[in-house]
Amino acid sequence: MELLEKLKFLADGAKYDASCSSSGSKRLSKGYGSVAFSGICHSFSKDGRCISLLKILLTNACIFDCKYCINRKSNNIKRALFTSDEICEITMNFYKRNYIEGLFLSSGIVKSPDYTMELLIDAVKMLRVKYKFAGYIHVKAIPGASEVLVKKLGMMVDRMSANIELSTSNSLKLLAPMKNHNKVEQIMSNIKHNQSRAFVPAGQSTQMIVGATRESDMDIMQKSAMLYNNFKLKRVFYSAYISVNQDKLLPTLTIPPLAREHRLYQADWLLRFYNFKVEDMLSNQNPNFNLLLDPKADWALNHLNEFPKEINECSYNDILKIPGIGIKSAKKIVSSRKFFALTFKDLKLMGVSLKRAKYFITCNGKYFMDTIFFQKDFIEQNLILEDKTKVSVDRQQLSLF
Amino acid sequence: MQRVYIYNDSFESLISLILILLSKKVKPDNIKNSEYAPNLFEEKIILVVNEKLANDFLEKLDRKNLCIIYYAFLSEKSDCELVIYYYILNYLKYGTKTYFFRNLKCVNKVLAYSTYVSGENHKFKGFTRFEEKENKVLYAVINPTSNILGLLSLHFQKRLRNELWMIEDVGRNIISVYDKKHFYIISKNSLKISIDALSKQEQQMQNLWKEFYNVIAIKERENLKCRQNFMPKKYWKNICEVKDEL
Repeated sequence: MELLEKLKFLADGAKYDASCSSSGSKRLSKGYGSVAFSGICHSFSKDGRCISLLKILLTNACIFDCKYCINRKSNNIKRALFTSDEICEITMNFYKRNYIEGLFLSSGIVKSPDYTMELLIDAVKMLRVKYKFAGYIHVKAIPGASEVLVKKLGMMVDRMSANIELSTSNSLKLLAPMKNHNKVEQIMSNIKHNQSRAFVPAGQSTQMIVGATRESDMDIMQKSAMLYNNFKLKRVFYSAYISVNQDKLLPTLTIPPLAREHRLYQADWLLRFYNFKVEDMLSNQNPNFNLLLDPKADWALNHLNEFPKEINECSYNDILKIPGIGIKSAKKIVSSRKFFALTFKDLKLMGVSLKRAKYFITCNGKYFMDTIFFQKDFIEQNLILEDKTKVSVDRQQLSLF
Repeated sequence: MQRVYIYNDSFESLISLILILLSKKVKPDNIKNSEYAPNLFEEKIILVVNEKLANDFLEKLDRKNLCIIYYAFLSEKSDCELVIYYYILNYLKYGTKTYFFRNLKCVNKVLAYSTYVSGENHKFKGFTRFEEKENKVLYAVINPTSNILGLLSLHFQKRLRNELWMIEDVGRNIISVYDKKHFYIISKNSLKISIDALSKQEQQMQNLWKEFYNVIAIKERENLKCRQNFMPKKYWKNICEVKDEL
């Protein structure tokens, strides 16, 4: 098979992995290249996702038969395998031309997890040792592989990830009978215990498919919270289910549930950077996110007694709870208000987005309109109306369920 | 008559001019570089400046303020010199804390310009595309809005330190040349060497990359607007994988 054709098949099989980040690690060694701590996006594909790493499979042959996966054993597709030399040549040539920040190497399972792991190790070792590549490498950890091999691979890469795929064991049993959460969590804890400056410096991540099974948002978020707490994950990625296979166990969606995926990402951010807990956002009565309102605005409307907050006095953590205000804006506000009292005009000038925030704050005791309008229904309607374009997109998606 | 003060294009000479104006308590109507052609109601004033003045001042300046002012200068916005003048005026009053006074228009503008420049610099760390020439030199053409060639060269000096590379800013007609030790930014006209043809491997690599670029997108998720937000069309003509879509 020609190299171009190989690349086509092996990139096609890897594209459903959402992770693309190249951040969290820094290196300036004598080898070829460097790693920037902030990560660098080199291009953006037609679906709007950033391309920062050469995302490929070592092989798309697989002994597993996971229902949702394009590379499953029972699919009649062309199978290919990259040699270590080919991977290194493409990576080095792309890197030199500044197309990519590094390599993201994943693989189907061939023969056994340990055997697959050794293939990955060979490729990465050649890239690091023979080609002296010092750029970013993200590699998949294969659940079920022995700790010795995890240690060996981890010493050469910046990030490792093992995908949890579905948030409950039951769904995993249904769609991916050969996988199980224990094995994934075992390898995650292996990585966590060994982590150091030399071993997987950019930490580990994972991915969950959204909308392939009946889990609620609450199930998914609780799983994420558990993963963050127990395994110190850097990121959990959510991937809206795209039907690539026909199977009676799988839903038939024509459009992936992107709106839901978006809400999950927003909630994930609230969890990691805004001191929110899953119980704040979701409950057993309300196990799914409101698709019309972002989770923070939804939370704020249900806790309206805590608002409006006085922007010149409330604490940094309280500012973070205001819908529409992010970490950057919150920091700007805190650092500036020591020197002068902020007004609505100042906030606008500073570039703080007031579209949502204005309903929830006062500046020097002043609300932006008559306070009789400070009511849940009124604010809720306005927030939804101001997002007209978004609403129309959401409606399309809503009609699916 | 409007008084337009002229500096001789370098950052140091701008700072010297501003310091002289401030010490004389002169409020300029505008400050422009030497290429500026005044209109009927403007009077060009050229002062003799001593760049040592600027160097002494810049040495004492803390790193953050220095970066803010220098980046704002690189933005090459039409009023960047004047807002820097007012920023320094406020700096003499408030010191290192100046950048917190975001309720002042000049502070806000300087911060906005400098953020824009650092953002554009970061984007080009990704969007710069090198082509390999027959003599193994890597050659890239960029068209940034602000003058980021120097900042960008610092990045590639670290990343591609074992390669010979050149980056041409096509809009400013300047070129950065790296000889595996240092980089030099010179005018394109003064470059004596001719540019070689592409290496044999180059076309093959570009084809591989374009194939990868097309395959990696998920059709069901197509979102061209989102792509354009992240990768503005003005840069496309020098980015090989999207050039053909223009």
